[in-house]
Amino acid sequence: MRANEDELRGLMIDGLDGNAGAHTVLLRLLVPLLRSYYRRHANGSADDIEDLVQETLIAVHTRRATYDRDRPFTSWLFAIARYKMIDHFRRVRRLQPIEGMEELLVAEAFEGASIARIDVDELLGTLPVKQARMIRATRIDGLSVAEAAAADGLGESDVKVSVHRGLKSLMARIQGGGQ
Amino acid sequence: MNTDDLIAQLSADVPRVRRHTVGWRLGLGLAGGLIVSLTIVVAVMGVRPDLSVAMHGFSFWMKWGYTISLSIAAVVVTAQLARPDSARLRWLWLLAIPVALLAGLGALELLRTPQGEWLAMWLGESWMVCPWRVLTLAAPIFVGLLWSFRRLAPTRLRAAGAAAGLAAGAFAATVYCIHCPEVSAIFVLTWYSLGILLAASAGALLGPRLLRW
Repeated sequence: MRANEDELRGLMIDGLDGNAGAHTVLLRLLVPLLRSYYRRHANGSADDIEDLVQETLIAVHTRRATYDRDRPFTSWLFAIARYKMIDHFRRVRRLQPIEGMEELLVAEAFEGASIARIDVDELLGTLPVKQARMIRATRIDGLSVAEAAAADGLGESDVKVSVHRGLKSLMARIQGGGQ
Repeated sequence: MNTDDLIAQLSADVPRVRRHTVGWRLGLGLAGGLIVSLTIVVAVMGVRPDLSVAMHGFSFWMKWGYTISLSIAAVVVTAQLARPDSARLRWLWLLAIPVALLAGLGALELLRTPQGEWLAMWLGESWMVCPWRVLTLAAPIFVGLLWSFRRLAPTRLRAAGAAAGLAAGAFAATVYCIHCPEVSAIFVLTWYSLGILLAASAGALLGPRLLRW
């Protein structure tokens, strides 16, 4: 059964008034909502999704004072969910091996940083323009996904997908060429 | 941890939350910072000796009118950015009112003053230090607001940082009026605003790093 806005908002307000029971029910109702939200938007593993759900529940609980009783509950909730998703992937991405690869490309100077730079330019030149631009924006110029998306007037998921696909084909090319 | 266990654990602690908690929290952080800035002005920079006389004059209230109304507008924006659902900001235009009014006064002032004195009026005695002092006084207030934000939930960190910096700068300028003897509108419009903008820029730079939660 899906909870609706009025129901959730009522529970939230009761929770804010100190009704622990209402708060518990609210958190339980949020679990399926958040799971489906993250399944749709986060495109991560089941563990990632459960982590995100839990992080968001904790955020909803610890930041409940920032909910304005006169405003829609779900827009408050999904604003938090979206923020947690961006933050989560910003942190987790650092641990993924693909990041090390591009660190190698950018930073390690086999023939000096300038030559590496040319390599990067060359490699990026082999990709479709949009993918190359998004990789340059997010991985070399250091913009966040949101910033890159805003700068190019694209959706954030569009940027993520472009970067991901681009890096993947770069990896394939480098590994293929090196062997 | 299992999600059900997590919920059980979270539900063990559900205190009552009053309606204006966000406002109170911001107010407390601001007040703490203001006390520190005020102390710096009184103890280090010194209160202007003619303060009690100046408080009967127009230019003092023009300055306070400008900085206080800017502070209020900045806090209104900051309070919105302290909540997660801040995609659409309301009352942003409030910020333009004090600036426009002061610019109007500045234009009148220029009309009434012979051109030869414009430069002296614009630079005053302290144009080189004024923005930096405002920025310095903004730092404790900004720290106070950072403390407030630790319990709040900004999702647009750069904007929230900029708004907090702007509020800190505007309050810092308000406190600085107690020290600063300058009287001209274009002086305030330029150098006070520059200090306030510096604070806002610092906030925008620091926001994404310091406001994460």
